[in-house]
This record gives sequence, C-alpha cells and structure tokens, in this order.
Amino acid sequence: MRMRSIWIVALMLLGVVASGCISSSGGTQTSSTTVQLTGDFTKDAVSIGKVLEQKGINEVKFSAWGSGDPNSVMRVYGIVEAARRINRIWEKNGIKVKITITDTNYVASFQDAYKEYLSKQPLGQAGDFFVNSYAFLPTLADEGYILDITDYAKAYKSVIDDFYPSLIEASKYNGKLYGLPQDTEARPLYIRKDVAAKIGFNLNSLDEKVKNGEFTWTDVYYWAKKAKENGVKWGLIHRKGSAHPDLIQFIFAFGGKLYDENTGKLILDVPAVYKWLYVEWKFARDGLLPEDIMSWDWAKQIHPTVVEGRTLFDIGGTWYWTEWQTKQYYHGRGLKPEEVKEWFYYTLFPAGEKGDKPVTLSQPFVWMINSKAGQQNPKYDELKDIYHELAFLMVIKASDPDINAIHSVISAHLPVRKAAAELIKDEKWLNDLKNLNLDLDQTVKDNIRDIVQATVNPINAQFLADVSYMLEYTHLAPAHPKYPALADIFKEAVDKVLRNEMTPKDAVNYIIQKVKADPGLAKNVEIVGEIPKNWKFPQQ
Amino acid sequence: MNKDRLTALSFFLSPMIVMVLLFYLVPLVMTIYISLTQMRNWNVSKYLTEFVGFYNYHRLFYMFQHDPTFKAVLLTTVVFVGITLIVNVLGGLALALATFFIEDKPASAFRLLWLLPRMSPIAVYSLVWYYFFHGSDIGTLNSILMKLGIISHPIAWGQIVPWGAWSIIIFVNGLVGVSFGMIVFTSALNQIPKELVIAARVDGASSWQISRKILIPMIRWHLLYVLTWQFLSLLTTYPHLFLLVQWDLVNGDYGTTLALYVFNTAFGRGEQDQGLAAAAAVLLSIIGIIGGFVTLKVLQFEKMMKRPRGDF
Repeated sequence: MRMRSIWIVALMLLGVVASGCISSSGGTQTSSTTVQLTGDFTKDAVSIGKVLEQKGINEVKFSAWGSGDPNSVMRVYGIVEAARRINRIWEKNGIKVKITITDTNYVASFQDAYKEYLSKQPLGQAGDFFVNSYAFLPTLADEGYILDITDYAKAYKSVIDDFYPSLIEASKYNGKLYGLPQDTEARPLYIRKDVAAKIGFNLNSLDEKVKNGEFTWTDVYYWAKKAKENGVKWGLIHRKGSAHPDLIQFIFAFGGKLYDENTGKLILDVPAVYKWLYVEWKFARDGLLPEDIMSWDWAKQIHPTVVEGRTLFDIGGTWYWTEWQTKQYYHGRGLKPEEVKEWFYYTLFPAGEKGDKPVTLSQPFVWMINSKAGQQNPKYDELKDIYHELAFLMVIKASDPDINAIHSVISAHLPVRKAAAELIKDEKWLNDLKNLNLDLDQTVKDNIRDIVQATVNPINAQFLADVSYMLEYTHLAPAHPKYPALADIFKEAVDKVLRNEMTPKDAVNYIIQKVKADPGLAKNVEIVGEIPKNWKFPQQ
Repeated sequence: MNKDRLTALSFFLSPMIVMVLLFYLVPLVMTIYISLTQMRNWNVSKYLTEFVGFYNYHRLFYMFQHDPTFKAVLLTTVVFVGITLIVNVLGGLALALATFFIEDKPASAFRLLWLLPRMSPIAVYSLVWYYFFHGSDIGTLNSILMKLGIISHPIAWGQIVPWGAWSIIIFVNGLVGVSFGMIVFTSALNQIPKELVIAARVDGASSWQISRKILIPMIRWHLLYVLTWQFLSLLTTYPHLFLLVQWDLVNGDYGTTLALYVFNTAFGRGEQDQGLAAAAAVLLSIIGIIGGFVTLKVLQFEKMMKRPRGDF
C-alpha cells in the first residue's frame, strides 16, 4: 500500500516536470519570418500586415511605457496615434489586422520608470515601447534589453536625417542605433522680471551679455545678494534630486569635461567640480540658496517659491513654462500665459567666470523598443522579426512631425525634427491644434484636451521659438553605463556642501574617495586636475 | 532510535523540513551563489554563470576601508540595532509591567494605543513622522518650538549627523517594535500565579520590588526570546528607514543600515548591483547568525530549555 502511494506521488512529480519541459521546449524551433524594409512607409506597413494576416494574426497587442511631467503624455499617446495611423493604412489596403495598445503606463519619475523596466524586462513584463532618458540607453543596450534598430533605420535614412544629428548620436551606443529621439529641452536660467526691476537689475539685452560670456556666475551672485538685501527671500532656487542632469551644467560652465571620447572613460574634472561646489556652498552660506533645497518638495516648495516671486533666479527647464500654467503652484492656481511672459525672463546658463562660455544641458528622451517587443502576441517565435519591424515602424510613425510638434507645444520641450520645428511656427496649424481640429485618435484627443486648452497659444509657441537657439550651446551628460553611479555621488556632495557638512575642498576629496572606493567605478573614471589654489568666488 | 520511530518522526517533520529547505536554505544558498557572480541589472541569463570568485567580498572589504559612506552605514547599523533593541525590550517590559498593575479595561485600552504604530500602514506611519520631524517650518516639531520661542529658525533634525539622524530612526522604529515585547511580556506576566503577587503585597512589597524580585525573574525566557527576535528583526528591517531616507528626512549616510544598503545596492540605484548586494546580504546573515548565537549563549538558553524533571 505504502509502495503504491510512493509510486503515484513519483509519477505525478514526473508528470509535472515533463509537462514543464514539453511546454518550454516544444515549438521553438521554427524559423523566423521577416520582411525587407524599403523605406516606403505605406509599402512596408502593408507588407508586414499581409504577413501577419497570412499567418492568421488579426490583432497585434503592444504596450507603451513613458514617464515625465504632467504635460508630456504624448510620450505614450504618440504610440497610440501611431497605431491608429498604421491601422488605417491596413484598413485602406483591405488587411484585416489591427494594432491594439493594451497599456499606456505613464508615471512621473523617469528614474522609477527605468527601475521598473529594468526589473520587469527580463521577466517579459515590461512595456514594448519605452520612452526614457538617453542616459539609461547604454545600460539597457549593454544588457540586451532594447532592440538594436541600426539595420532597420538604414531603410529610413531620409527620416533619420531629419532629426538633429546630435540627438541621433545620443541615441547610439557603441556606434549602433538603439532608439529614436522623442524630445529634448534646454535648461534656461529664469529671472523674475518684477524682482529684477525692484533691485535695479536691467535685463535689456542680458541674453546677449550671457551669450558673450560677459555676464558670469559672479554677476548672478551679485544680483542674488542684492535681491536678498532688498527683502526677497532667496536669490537662487535650483532643481533637486540627482545631480544629473541639471547641476552638472556648472562643470561645463567652468570649462570642465565629464567624458573623454578617446578613452571612453568618465572624467572627474577636479577644478571644475571644485568651482561648482564652491559656488553652491557660497550661495548657501550667504543665505541666497536654501541649504536644504535637495530635500525640498517640488509642488509645495520649489515651484511655489519661484512662481510666487520669492526668488530672483531659478535654474529650471523649458518645460517649466507650461507646467507653471497647468499646475496649481501659484496660490492654488496655475499661471496665465500672459503672467508667465510678464514675470519671467530667460537666458542661457551663464559662464562660470570670464573666459568661459555659457551653456545649457539637454537630456533627450528616446523611444526605445523592448528587445522582447511583441512577445505577448501569438506565434512570437516564428514572427519575432515581423513584430520587431512593426514596432520600429510604429516608432517611425510616432515621430511624425505633427505628433512631435504637438508634444513640443503642449509640454514646452523642443522639437527633435526639423519638420516639427517648422510646423510649430505655422499659425494655422497652431489654431487647429488649439481647437483639436486635427486628425488624431479620439483617445489621444480626450487625454490631451485640458493640456491643449491650457498651453496652446502664441505666447508658448513664441517661447519655444525663442529658446531654440540654446541648443547651439547644449551639452549632453555622458552616455556611459557607470555615469549614474558617478551622478549619485555628485548629488551627495552637493547636499553636503549646501548643508555645510563639508567644505567644497572636503567634498571634492569625498567624491574622489568614493570613486576610488569602488573598484568597478574607479576603473571607469579618470580623475584629472587638482583643486585650484587661491581661487576666489565671487571674483572681483 | 528504532526504525519505526524514525519513520514516524520523518513523517511528521517532513512538511517542516521541506518548508525550511525551500524557503530558508535555498534562498540562502542562492544568495551565496549570486554573491559569487557579477549579477547586475536583473540580467540573470547573462550573469548567472559569470563567476567572479570573491570579487564582491573584496569590493565590500575595500569599501569598508575607503568609502566613508559604507563606514557610516556599518556604524549606523551598530548604533541603530543596539539602541533600538534596548528601547524595544525595556520599553515593552515597562509597558507590560505598567499595565499589569492597573485595571483590566484601561490596561487593554492603553495596550491597544501602543499597538497603533504596528497596525498602521508603513507609509502612513512614516509620513506622520516625516511631517513631525520635517526640517522646514512645515514640520510640526519645528512649528511648536518656534511658536514657543525656543528656536528662531527651523532645524533640519534628521540632517544633524550623526545623532539627529540616528535619534529619528531609533525613535520611529522603537515605537513600532515596543508593542511586540509588550504583548509577549503581558502574556507571560498573566501566566504567573496571582498568589505570588498577592502574598508579596501582603508582606508589604512595593510594585517595583514585586517586579524586580518576582515578575522579571519569572519571565526570563520571554525576555531572551524577545531580545533575540528583536535583534534579528532590527538587523534586517528597512521599510521605515527606506522611506525616511528616500524622502530626505534623515541623512542618507546615517539613516542607512546594512539591510537598507543591501536593498539600495540591489534595487535602488541607477546601476543595480545584485552581486554586491548579495555579498552584503551574506555578511548580514553571518552577523545575524553570530549575534543570535551569542545572545542565546550569554543568556544561557540551554539551561532554560532543560527537560522538565519527571517526564519520559
């Protein structure tokens, strides 16, 4: 009796194991079907549609993951619209296949979105489309989590050539293309016009003085101090969080570097980093910048302080322009476009000192395609390449000038394509957008209606046109897998000098010590230069 | 032991043995295994077979020597576990004794009050203390002290290192842990024959004398249990700390214990280094095993577990 029970249990276990083996190995050896892309979008979409139809597929499911400020929802709805446009092509050509976007996951923190993607991609649970900072692209490419689209892109050279070349470069890793730029931005130094007038700070042609390097951080300090002396709460507010990508502008503004193209290593530029930390320390010690700004609340402290005029300067981003209009930061309401225009002057991030150049910093967002894109669909092993090609076509479609231009106008990000930059200058098109009189998916219209109402107007379009020149001065943070680790250390150092836990010199030594303490990081970071002797800030 | 007895024992013990193997031993072996690989960014298929020997342990040792953050993490772990443990055990004991000497109804209500931190969702409970200790004038503590004229500017309590940060994490976790000891000790005290207490009262003993001479000696086993259990819990706990550090209420270096460091290294940073985190987790397990063993030895656990005379 006992033996019989043992046999039954053993057989059951064997059955379970065997069924697992069968399901994991069976049917995986079929050869993959593919279509040669030609560069003619309609033709390629039709070819792919026909293959899918022949293979008995009538619905292709995809999901889109995006992140960012509340106005940047086109980062996911761009994919929804692309699906609709391809569906229409198929419909016109009698192909009975439909793309359905099953999930549009949009979260505020792009870092959190990245972490979620990182943990879920290996399990096959991440979005098929992932739009996020180019800074994460090297790691994702290195781990094989995103699709290499170099070969697909060859057929679409004319589209690729319409993107700004520096942004295409930012979408590459080790010479291969892993995504298409979705948006970019500049990070202006905002100046409150009313506060400036109160302290006699003449803003006429200030942007020219900044461009020429005449107006430096010493001048920023001088006016910030004057504002403080005249009863303004703060002289300067800046962004918080990881020192990437905002505050590293100081490194470039003091003529420093973060990456050596020849060695492929990150650079810890000691003199520039010292000057950056010294400026932060000096501003905080003189009460011009809150010493606990790195732990300030965005919605309750940072934005209200700026929009309510409790600071003279603010290091922000172009997207602030519309964010201030749509979020209730100003005494419980959003600003009117006229108010933003009337209250804020904007210019490049000034040169660190005489002889240096002004800068800005961009962090392009990139459409990336999951290397497992389409796996929730039938016959994935057989049709894997087809699904990947279709995903690529969707990204191409989502980069249509009008989709890109809509995103730019409503989120105050800069267009990534020349055709989109032209479109936002078109008054008729702007009017049509204002009335949502455009050929767009109803879901997309419903989801952007409120944002469009609040943001589409000539003032915002003019702002985008006015700040576009900043891209000529832009820098990008290094696309290096170890950069996030270095950025984390920068953030800690900034926080420590602001709180006066460390002097700038101690903080630089702290960074060096931290870099050296991690053998993995030390191998990838070259420490150059020394702490400058007798360097003073503000300069005379 | 005869064969039948062994078979019977195996039969009854097998579910527990399978559970221990599956949920305790296998994860431990896997953690040790991962610590010997270059596992990062969740890429199991790529790194699971890439052995790097003791490289991750070497990195930890190197960081221990050179990285000020890692040194602060270790120091914070020692201080946090040590002081919170004392707060948890002595606080639990004090509460149990205090409620032992009062009427049942108010005692139950009082105990329930102390269970609130344990019952509240971690995020809500942490948020309460976040706003209480907030370093700006929106913080309750700062606001009260400023209204009373004790301070003129808000103080970033959690950023005063190391003791400001340590005080907050100890305070917050201490309040959560104290209820566990309270429940165990209350239950133990209720098992003590009332006659002993009544007799002592008749003899004129005070509550303090009764506690010291009768009650505490009789709940020694429970004290040891709570001490060991809380030690291991504190060594591995991190949810409250994670939120307080994440929200920048407390300083990152002096608000992070080894358990939180393991979590952050594995899942919380730009580069997620699961190999290094696994090595730190192994280190944490070794500390836990040694610590638990020492506690049991010092408090003579074997003596307390002696078989009662007369059985068998």
